[in-house]
Amino acid sequence: MRHYNHVIRFAIILTAVLIGFFAVRGFIVPESFGVYGTYMYGYHRGNSDSEEAAQPILYYGSDKCRKCHEKLYEQESQAGHSKIACESCHANWQAHNNNTRNKVLKNGSIEACMQCHKKLSARPAAFPQITDIKQHMDDQEQEFEKGMECLDCHDPHEPL
Amino acid sequence: MNKDRRNFIKQTGWSILGGGLLISVFPLLPGSAHASKNKNHIFAFIVDIEKCIGCGKCVNACIKENSVPNDFYRTWVERYHILENGEVIVDSPDGGSDGFKPQEFKHKVEKAFFVPKLCNHCKKPNCVQVCPVVATYVSKEGVVLVDDKHCVGCSYCVQACPYGARFINPETRTADKCTWCYHRIKKGYKPACVLVCPTGARQFGRIDDPESPVHKTVKEKMLQILKPETGNEPMTMYLGLDKEVR
Repeated sequence: MRHYNHVIRFAIILTAVLIGFFAVRGFIVPESFGVYGTYMYGYHRGNSDSEEAAQPILYYGSDKCRKCHEKLYEQESQAGHSKIACESCHANWQAHNNNTRNKVLKNGSIEACMQCHKKLSARPAAFPQITDIKQHMDDQEQEFEKGMECLDCHDPHEPL
Repeated sequence: MNKDRRNFIKQTGWSILGGGLLISVFPLLPGSAHASKNKNHIFAFIVDIEKCIGCGKCVNACIKENSVPNDFYRTWVERYHILENGEVIVDSPDGGSDGFKPQEFKHKVEKAFFVPKLCNHCKKPNCVQVCPVVATYVSKEGVVLVDDKHCVGCSYCVQACPYGARFINPETRTADKCTWCYHRIKKGYKPACVLVCPTGARQFGRIDDPESPVHKTVKEKMLQILKPETGNEPMTMYLGLDKEVR
């Protein structure tokens, strides 16, 4: 029996180390850690996705705008810009809900329109673009007056 | 001698069996208990270069929706000018958030276009592999996310990403990037950039859902990805991508 003593001693130490390892591991590793999805890329704290998903939403989409602005929504649903979301040019729903004075992103109508309709070489050629208002008026064979703005002639919802 | 050998083999056998039992009882190998079938990557993001007008509304909406700090972008728009002499000029002032101004060149512009960029949400993301603290991962839906409670801000992932989609958020000091608006898509909304895009240059949805806008495109159209040579297998795909785009 004597020549077995060192094996028993080793076994006792090994058991103690293993118990210690699992005790510490159970304490350190957060509860929801595990593999969700593939092993190689899916190992993470499981609650992390729900925490990310809890972030508040600001942009709710045009359907939400419709709840208060039903008439306007119906009226503009056939307009030229109807496929563009309200919040694309207007303030996002949350900002507007916090303070109804938040309406349009850029108040200067020229600047707001030119963000999309300024003539740029990189823009698709078929997309309606103008160099500036004076040039645009000349092209339309109409008289240009100083201080003219896009909205003098165009409706922002139904521009044509 | 023979007896000893027999005992030795016996004991070795028992210890191997015992050890195996121990490992099978305790989930030492993470995931042995949870590993589910791979149903990842149900979403795709499609960018149509020919529809992009470079208005920068997507960049603005992203900044607001995700409170992205100044001078950092989760999505941005690049403008490519390819000149007659073969020169390629790329610019993206303020990430394209205020739109673009006309530019003059000495040589004639052969072609020019906008390239919106964002996290590619790869199937095999480098950024996830290099993270030393498993703070970044691919979610069940195939969205690459950052666990900012575990991120230590070492920025390995920032370097590993071949698309430059990641940055260290100066406020939280953790890695930050596009999440495809995870908080929105989980509730059935489109990502903010897709919502505000006036020309429909950005499309997002489930590939397996026949009602989704990307279903048909993925099944029928010719799509390209950025830097396929890196083997990341992005789920952000491009329509009408030029060979000069990096």
